[in-house]
Amino acid sequence: MSAVEAPELWDVLSIAGEVWTSFIGSDEPLVPAADEAFPVAWSGAVSVTGDWSGMVVVEMPEHCAVAATSRMLLIDEPTQADVSDAVGELVNMVGGNVKCLLFGDNSLSLPVVALGRVTPPGDAVEVCRADLQWSQGPLRITVHSVAHSGATS
Amino acid sequence: MKALIIDDSRAMRSILRRILGDAGFETHEAEDGQVALDLMNGGLAPDVCLIDWNMPVMDGYTFVTNVRDNQDWRDVTLMMVTTESDSNRIVRALAAGAHEYVIKPFTPDAILDKLQLLGLFTEVPA
Repeated sequence: MSAVEAPELWDVLSIAGEVWTSFIGSDEPLVPAADEAFPVAWSGAVSVTGDWSGMVVVEMPEHCAVAATSRMLLIDEPTQADVSDAVGELVNMVGGNVKCLLFGDNSLSLPVVALGRVTPPGDAVEVCRADLQWSQGPLRITVHSVAHSGATS
Repeated sequence: MKALIIDDSRAMRSILRRILGDAGFETHEAEDGQVALDLMNGGLAPDVCLIDWNMPVMDGYTFVTNVRDNQDWRDVTLMMVTTESDSNRIVRALAAGAHEYVIKPFTPDAILDKLQLLGLFTEVPA
């Protein structure tokens, strides 16, 4: 992929698909889905700062986050700490690969994981949104451009 | 063979532990570069370290430079395993003394292929 000014949907779908296949499994692929509301139980966010500033957020309902953690760690009953860690690593991989698409010199923050939604800064502008579905439920990945990046939960 | 997995994510350490354990490695873990250095100063002598870049307390790049500054650890193989895929970061890590660089997400085969290239793992034919 060549450097871009802002990630596009195709970029995010490609990155998410690769992360999913590598760590969750190739037998149940992640596919684009309709934009439908779901109860966000877990969110993970990473901030990108530098020549481009923004935030990448992954949101999942409870059962989806638990199932993804279970597949990722090969354990039947993940604890809340396991789920938090797995969601953090998923957004870290998605965000890290999004960052590498962007022009310029940029740094990636450590992931922030929240029960419920992570709230982007007030001046954040959504530049890309991927609504996705896998066998265990929906998830959403959004990329926000911000003047000064940061996340609050 | 002893492998030291250095990553602040328990999930990632668990995945790497499984891959390396299945390949016959004795695995040890650290949640950041400082903990890894403490383990090595305490006597752990890994053959290979798998190192994340972005970690709290001490990042992977700083860990690599610390290891390379110590002649006692000159034989330790260092492999970055990170989401940082910018070419300038890869060059920096290799220049600092890392031997290999794996970008997340990865497959188990990608890890084992790199270890094979480094002479640390030999695949046994089925």
